[in-house]
Amino acid sequence: MPKQTIGHASLSEKKITEVTSVISHQLKTPLAGIKSSLEILLSDDLGPLTKSQKEYLELTLSGTIKMIQLVKNLLDASRVDENRMQLNSERSDFVKLVQEVISDLASFAKAKNSSISLAIKGDIPFLTIDPTRVQQVVNNLIYNAIRYTKGKGDIRVSIERDGDNILFTSLDNGIGISDKEKKKIFTKYYRSPRGVVLATDGSGLGLFISKAIIVQSGGKIWFTSKLDKGTTFYFTLPIR
Amino acid sequence: MDQKKKILLIEDDKFLLKLYSDKLNREGFEVSMAITGEEGLGKVAAEKPDLVLLDIILPQKNGFDILSEIKLNSATKNIPVIILTNLGQDSDIKTGFELGAVDYLVKTDFSITKLPEIVRKYLASSAQHKR
Repeated sequence: MPKQTIGHASLSEKKITEVTSVISHQLKTPLAGIKSSLEILLSDDLGPLTKSQKEYLELTLSGTIKMIQLVKNLLDASRVDENRMQLNSERSDFVKLVQEVISDLASFAKAKNSSISLAIKGDIPFLTIDPTRVQQVVNNLIYNAIRYTKGKGDIRVSIERDGDNILFTSLDNGIGISDKEKKKIFTKYYRSPRGVVLATDGSGLGLFISKAIIVQSGGKIWFTSKLDKGTTFYFTLPIR
Repeated sequence: MDQKKKILLIEDDKFLLKLYSDKLNREGFEVSMAITGEEGLGKVAAEKPDLVLLDIILPQKNGFDILSEIKLNSATKNIPVIILTNLGQDSDIKTGFELGAVDYLVKTDFSITKLPEIVRKYLASSAQHKR
């Protein structure tokens, strides 16, 4: 079994996964408390706040939500490692699901001076997928496309039918992925050093989890990339 | 004036217990609290609250067992139970609804500011059911 050294202790991958899972669960309760406290304060329930008090609390809430997301990603990664990722498949409108992600990310894209377009090619049937999980993948890919682009971003998303599958594509004009990094991109905790320069707050878990979701849904996920030109991520999902 | 509706909060984390109970008190509810599964079940039977907010991971007896027992007892089976937990896996949510919960809230995902509104919604549908 592969081992990792932490300080003087040597822990198996399995043990690390177990410890990560337990700690992540334990973090959720105090994080829920912090988030709830901040929401109460921001709702003026306990009295009005000054503008700058509100601003500080909003920043704290935003940081707390990021921590909750990180904990969720750690738990998801543990579930992937232990083959415990559960998909709750149902008939889902894939196009609507993608449109919702684009709409949710619109303000972030605008703040980063990026635009997102969506092309729907032909009739796209409903798919039997876990809509929440697949939406997580779509969100991750488009969010990364926005984050890892310098200057004006041009993100082109398309959905089309490809035989018995639906093909999702997200093309960007971002920093790209070097040949050396290409093999590592779906590896747990891997973060590109060039990516870290642009966005320091990633966990290196998004693509690892995304791959697991797509593979477990019966699809494939891959990418093509040219350094400093851009990256295109693709995934397929079976029509059934 | 309407009698205050009584909410039983079964939650072992004192920080969350204070936040949820204070919020409900401010909104005009009477709040009773229990910090273990056994204590919670005892209070459901003794106090017959109008609604129960129930955590899952609790000392002594877990929330799913408590929910089952509430629903098996003819004196308490019509009390609406909302699960309020950090277990957000689909299988847990499914179990909660199968056992008879009216709603399932994940603590990190829902906003506490919406709690009174959610509680009122189920109190109203419970009152309608009784008519």
